[in-house]
Amino acid sequence: MKKKKSLSILKYFFMIIVSFISIFPFLWMIISATNDAREITAVKLTFGTHLVENLRNLFHSDLNFGASLGYSTFIAVITTVLALLISSVAGYGFEIFRSKARDRVFNILLLSMMVPFCALMIPLYRMFGAVGKTGLTGIGLNTLISVIAPYVCTAFLIFFFRQNTKSFPKDILEAARIDGLNETRIFFHMYMPVMKSSYAAGAIITFMSSWNNYLWPLVALQDPQKRTVPLILSAMGSSYTPDYGMIMAGIVIATLPTGFLFFMMQKQFVAGMIGSVK
Amino acid sequence: MKTKSIAASFLSAAMLLGMTACSGGGANSASDTAPAAGNSQAVSSSAAKDAAEKLTVWAWDDTFNVKAANEAKAAYAKIDPNVKVDVVSMAQNDIVAKLNTAFESGNVDGMPNIVLIEDYRIKNYLKSYPGVLSDLSDVTTPDKFMDYKLKTMTQDGKIYGVPFDSGVSCVFYRTDLIEKAGFKQSDMQNLTWDKYIEIGKAVKAKTGKAMISVDPSDLGLIRMMMQSAGKWYVNSDGKADIANNAALKEAVTIYKKMQQEGITITASGWDAGVAAVNESKVATSVNGCWYASSIKKAADQSGKWAIAEFPKMSNVSGSVNSSNLGGASWYVIDKVAGRDTAKDFLSKTFASDTGLLDSLCKDISLVSTYKDASSGKNVNAPDAFFNNQKIYKNWIDWTVNIPAVNYGTSTYDVESKMTEAVQSILKGASIDDTLKNAQTEVEGIVSAAD
Amino acid sequence: MNSEQSIAAKQITSDFRTVGGPHGSSRHTLEKKLNRWGWGFVSMSIVLISVFVFFPMIAALIMSFQTGKGVNMHFGGLTNYIRLFHDQTVAKALGNTFIYLIFQVPIMLILALIISVILNDKNLKGRTFFRVAIFLPCITSLVSYSLIMKNIFSNDGIFNQLLSHIGLSPILWTTDSFWAKVLIILSITWRWTGYNMIFYLSGLQGIEPSIYEAAEIDGANSFQKMIHMTVPLLKPIILFTTITSTIGTLQLFDEVQNITKGGPANGTVTISQYIYNLCFKYTPNFGYASAVAFIVVVLIVFLSLIQMKIGGKENQ
Repeated sequence: MKKKKSLSILKYFFMIIVSFISIFPFLWMIISATNDAREITAVKLTFGTHLVENLRNLFHSDLNFGASLGYSTFIAVITTVLALLISSVAGYGFEIFRSKARDRVFNILLLSMMVPFCALMIPLYRMFGAVGKTGLTGIGLNTLISVIAPYVCTAFLIFFFRQNTKSFPKDILEAARIDGLNETRIFFHMYMPVMKSSYAAGAIITFMSSWNNYLWPLVALQDPQKRTVPLILSAMGSSYTPDYGMIMAGIVIATLPTGFLFFMMQKQFVAGMIGSVK
Repeated sequence: MKTKSIAASFLSAAMLLGMTACSGGGANSASDTAPAAGNSQAVSSSAAKDAAEKLTVWAWDDTFNVKAANEAKAAYAKIDPNVKVDVVSMAQNDIVAKLNTAFESGNVDGMPNIVLIEDYRIKNYLKSYPGVLSDLSDVTTPDKFMDYKLKTMTQDGKIYGVPFDSGVSCVFYRTDLIEKAGFKQSDMQNLTWDKYIEIGKAVKAKTGKAMISVDPSDLGLIRMMMQSAGKWYVNSDGKADIANNAALKEAVTIYKKMQQEGITITASGWDAGVAAVNESKVATSVNGCWYASSIKKAADQSGKWAIAEFPKMSNVSGSVNSSNLGGASWYVIDKVAGRDTAKDFLSKTFASDTGLLDSLCKDISLVSTYKDASSGKNVNAPDAFFNNQKIYKNWIDWTVNIPAVNYGTSTYDVESKMTEAVQSILKGASIDDTLKNAQTEVEGIVSAAD
Repeated sequence: MNSEQSIAAKQITSDFRTVGGPHGSSRHTLEKKLNRWGWGFVSMSIVLISVFVFFPMIAALIMSFQTGKGVNMHFGGLTNYIRLFHDQTVAKALGNTFIYLIFQVPIMLILALIISVILNDKNLKGRTFFRVAIFLPCITSLVSYSLIMKNIFSNDGIFNQLLSHIGLSPILWTTDSFWAKVLIILSITWRWTGYNMIFYLSGLQGIEPSIYEAAEIDGANSFQKMIHMTVPLLKPIILFTTITSTIGTLQLFDEVQNITKGGPANGTVTISQYIYNLCFKYTPNFGYASAVAFIVVVLIVFLSLIQMKIGGKENQ
């Protein structure tokens, strides 16, 4: 009995340490947003009085941080909605009826995850440039399409939805088919509502990676008015005399949307992930 | 069967688009409905042609060159109020990444009219992408600017840039610490590296402070030492010059000796280096003149700093008390609409306006390479932080003596290899063998870039 | 990007085992119909992935045999591949990548497994708090987390100040190439342990508690339960996280680029970062960069196959 008690104390001790390590950088980030650059470099661990000043600097700098927030949100939301739809349709399609050929195609699609994005960037850039030159200015470089398109369909999400589809009750499907519903109706009216938690998990993952995406928006969006939040933060950090108070305030704000989304949907998120590993 | 399945896929695709692109207009309209951020203007090439009276300028530091561009913008507004100038601040790495992709794919849509490019990088752009940057021979008058600077931007006898800042090297030093170590300010004049190390040892012994901070990933010190002898990683023809480069070998030897004598501390990255200075961990910093603004961040150290000429290498013939670190210049991207306005802008601001250059000296501590700027009021003013030394005047005097070198096409690739080589030398590898191996690798890099 | 690359390759294994479906021949027409619908549903993504991944991939493969500049690239034979084998930075980057792989992946996965087993205990108080806290790092923006890490572990950052408070000498996290690698390993582990934990946790919730109860009656301790029951039961998920973490590590870029920039003196550089440097930091050489990129592709495919072989064999 005694041994059991000490073991459980050990457990709590371990968990508290691990949680502290995980949370500490966050606390420090929030504290730093209230301090000025020199206090941050000198590692001040108490709340300071510069929060308002940092926020003012942030929103009044030439870099137009406020606009980038709007722009990033817009890109992330559109990417997430499109990616969830296209990938879930495919995930469903791969699972409703499986043939050897389709499994082979699926494995080939999975291969696409193994190519480092760096290697694809130049050809992609040239491709969008060439399309833009043909007069279809809406889909050339420097457009929303060019930022969003390469991310609306990823092998990862298709895989994710395919795994989740496996847990979709098959008898409902059969019943619906006997009633004469076609697959499109089944998908939109039955599959989507039932798979809510998978969509929630997929949404968090997609939104997160779109919101934080750096490399492709950097080269695809040349117009500096169209910069996303990570690009603005990177520009702020590259000054010869970076104002870390302002940058930290920016980082706190940049973390809010993903944090908010996760807290809102964390129950569904865990449930959605369960589906993906079954 | 095939046609049917294709039809089904189109159907589902159309449904998706209809549901998500709220405008309902499908792909093409998405970019118009895009910006939640109100002020975004798409600068596609056709749009720019309609509005030739708009200029875009890219630079990378809000407190330095971006500020300079904004002052130039204000000055130019008095000359031609019809031209709208848009100065954009961006990380330098991001600018380089964008230039690399755009030039490499031959597509300059969305590029600015005017861009600031570091001198170390420009040779490659001029050599690899001829015609991309405008010939500015009619804007930049050669005898108005200092020679070493012009050499970086000259290709086949044409001048392609307008010089911006000098990167003249100097020793920033703490007078209080040097005096505590038993030396006077006069000892800091006409320095050699031997003398510098001797002072450093005394500083370490008497004050416990290091003489200088070094960054294992940045060989700025070695580059400055080489240039003080008119040498570089490549020779004047652009060929790798490592194994038989006496100046490089001596520079590495000095670098190693400083670390062996224990007068250095390591600081990785820009911020750590600045912190070492601001927090009084080092007695000196050997750097380009533009470092002054970082030193001035520690207001409590005001009056304690002074500057001295760059130390020369006594064992290398031709090494002088003057060198350079970094520095950048303005360039015009030729194919972007509004080229002539851009040239006009540069010719009436950075290429001739001594008044502007003089006020930039006060506002951002700019050290110009424009010869006539040396007579300006602010240039000749004393600086209180530096104990009323006339630092700008000093820098300009030293700039005149900077040996011109050919930076070649691949400074940063080579530097990356050299950091590895220098680290293994510090760990005890033979200098000659290591440099010999490095020679082969650098030859590979340089020939690939040709 | 990392999170996306992460979940995935498990499917590859399961697909090798389960091809086809449990459909009888009597429902031939329905089968045919469903097959058509299936192809219809997946065609959109086949097109998109072909356009945005496979087409550029082939273009990159072609480019890896080219030399020259900009629009004037021309066929250069094996020049790039020959240079590759003499390039010491490639060797260094490969070495670093393998060090990350060998140390970081097991440490992270074992840690994630231990945490998830503890969290799966219904009697543990504050489970939700712990779960959220440990998952928190992976929702941070990369730029922010690297700034934070750099600040905490700088030579006179808070970590070293702590060390000196308890009388230890400071660690040169960013200027010593050994410690810089340790820092990278710590950072990746910090960021991704919670992410992997969620998978294990999800898997554990599918295991009947009665199995454990039986073992407890037989006198098994926590450690024995973990080794003899949890690990075998979670095997597919462990294989899955191993493969995805391997892919993630072989493509490692973000952390290194933002925390150490590959320094000191290329002491932490990775293959992906070297590719980035060749394109965007150095004098651009896209042909050579593409050649380097294809080593990563080959490596990932090779390692995934090995892992699936090992995982697959023991399963039978």
